[in-house]
Amino acid sequence: MVTHAAETGWAIDLTNVSKTYRGKVRALRGIDTRVRAGEIFGLLGPNGAGKSTLVKILMTVIRPTTASGTMLGQRVGHKPTLARVGYLPEHHRFPEYLTGAQVIDYYGALAGMPRAQRRKRRDELLEIVGMKDWADTKVRGYSKGMRQRVGIAQAIVNNPDLVVLDEPTDGVDPVGRRDIRAILVRLKEQGKTVFLNSHLLSELEMVCDRVAILVQGTVASQGTIDELTCGKIRYDIEIVGGDEAAAQRSLAAAAGSTPHTIARNTLSLATTDAAVVQPVIDALRAGGVIIRSIRPVRPSLEDLFMEAVTDPTTGVALPPGARKGAGREGS
Amino acid sequence: MTQILALLTDSYRELNSRKLFWITMLLSGLVVGVFAAFGLNDKGISFLWWQFDTPLLSAKTIEPRKFYIFAFANLGIPIWLTWAAMILALISTSSIFPDFIAGGAIELTLSKPISRMRLFLVKYVLGLLFVVLQVGVFSLACFLVIGVRGESWEPSLFLAVPIVTLVFSYLFGVCVLVGMMTRSTIAALLATLLFWLFLWGLNTTDGIFVLQRETSIVNHERAQKRVERQELASRRRIEQLAAAGEPVPTADTLPANVRDELEAVNAFLAPARKEAADAEESAAFWKRWTRLIVGAKTVLPKTVDTTALLDRWLLTPEDKALFSPERGESGDPDGKVRFGQPDREVQKRAEEAVRGRTVYWVIGTSLGFEALVVLVAGWLFCRRDF
Repeated sequence: MVTHAAETGWAIDLTNVSKTYRGKVRALRGIDTRVRAGEIFGLLGPNGAGKSTLVKILMTVIRPTTASGTMLGQRVGHKPTLARVGYLPEHHRFPEYLTGAQVIDYYGALAGMPRAQRRKRRDELLEIVGMKDWADTKVRGYSKGMRQRVGIAQAIVNNPDLVVLDEPTDGVDPVGRRDIRAILVRLKEQGKTVFLNSHLLSELEMVCDRVAILVQGTVASQGTIDELTCGKIRYDIEIVGGDEAAAQRSLAAAAGSTPHTIARNTLSLATTDAAVVQPVIDALRAGGVIIRSIRPVRPSLEDLFMEAVTDPTTGVALPPGARKGAGREGS
Repeated sequence: MTQILALLTDSYRELNSRKLFWITMLLSGLVVGVFAAFGLNDKGISFLWWQFDTPLLSAKTIEPRKFYIFAFANLGIPIWLTWAAMILALISTSSIFPDFIAGGAIELTLSKPISRMRLFLVKYVLGLLFVVLQVGVFSLACFLVIGVRGESWEPSLFLAVPIVTLVFSYLFGVCVLVGMMTRSTIAALLATLLFWLFLWGLNTTDGIFVLQRETSIVNHERAQKRVERQELASRRRIEQLAAAGEPVPTADTLPANVRDELEAVNAFLAPARKEAADAEESAAFWKRWTRLIVGAKTVLPKTVDTTALLDRWLLTPEDKALFSPERGESGDPDGKVRFGQPDREVQKRAEEAVRGRTVYWVIGTSLGFEALVVLVAGWLFCRRDF
């Protein structure tokens, strides 16, 4: 059943997307994910997690082994819908004989835009991405950052409803990254949906409304950053170096069933409730431990990411890359 | 249409950026320049300001128009455009598809609202642009040279554009298929050149076998005539013996190694009959092998035969004969022809046999091969994950 994105509120609604390459490499193992229309969605994961494979399936570059769901209200793989989508692949390579302006014009034409509209849009975009002065220089003379800027311009030349960007800040300097973030925010303000694929967790944290963490071809967790960090806020109590064993004893007695750890003069209590911390403070002070600071700590996206890519049983980071083998999910 | 125009413009820009395109164009200009420098006058041939008196080749023996058309159809097209320029074209275009499907480039194109098969076919057809432009410019220049120097405007010269493009397309199809399979420019180029060499070998074999076959047939016909002459002589001898009242050999009185009474009175008949039988056997042998080669050629592209169509359409056999060196007949018009020995009858029949091959066979079956190869390459393109 094909529906309009506006009706469902989902720009991307995927169910059971899997991809097994020849040699039985299982790049994706049944992805279920949804991206709301008008939001900036971040997809993150270690190398070989299947991020680019998922993006390529959406862009019809790769054929999925199984996939159901919709993109902008049409089934995944529906070619005419791609006229409403903009895409910047990772490690893109534009024809070296084209100038920046020609690149934008060429990909706009391939998206089916009329000539007059393309010209107008091309000039606007060159201005927006800060490449106006380089418009007539051949791509072969561009730096990595300049190529990336032109890449973003070509991805939005057709005024798309959904923009899919795979590592858009790769090779871009801090100023360029800030400019790109500003473009993404502007796109969101215009009601566009942005699907962002990046390694730079801090970048994602700054702009994304929601994120999904992909590990070895499956979605390890997804939601808003608040949703993901909810229940993971902790209190850190920093003490002045001294009798750590005494502090440990006081902590164990006062914390009760609240999970806690102590490392490098910092006691961590896994709780969001300030009342739970009070008896611990009292016990520490009674034990003569000097407290330097007490602060609630909210985990960063990097903490979430590291948690997702770490084997909970061994505490060791999972090996990069997709898994081999044709077993069922969850194996 | 916007997308096709974009791909067309891009193909032109891609060609324009290739140095080899302009080098080939420059060399084409040089070839036409040399072509234009030749002149035909009443005394013979001139080249620039030098005059070469050649009574056998002058404006008195051959019309200048035919001289230039012959040079165009037999030197410009087969030597320059279908060999030298073709190799340069293959070198220049062999990277089109490997570059097109290279990582980082293909994702951008495939993510556009255009079907893969359409994209592939448009890109394939545009890959022929190199040759269309080269041959177009070359033909136009030759058209002007023949018009000015030969005082004859020959629009039929532009037949070279579809013919040479067609020949190139047979090879380009293979180049695209190998490029699609291996993603390697070098592999695509080498495989195409090897395939072309194989086609050339097959065509040369075909030429040799056709000549062998016609030689055997002519030998058989001539041997048959000699048998008939000897049999006539034998009958006359028998009549003379009967008239003189001498004993005439009959079937009952024939020696063991003699087939009939005609052989009994003529010692030359038996060897003549043996020679005819040998020639018949030889003709059957070469007919069988020629059929085999023609069968193999039928399913493959025919580069040489396709180029020869131009020669067939631009010049009549009579026109061609004006330029052919005199092929001497063997001393005895009924004598045995040895392979390689010039014989006008054999030569004529072999040329007729090749010229008699239909355009449908030459182009139709070649296009059939090309269509198959391109469809396989297109199927690979449509099915592949990039």
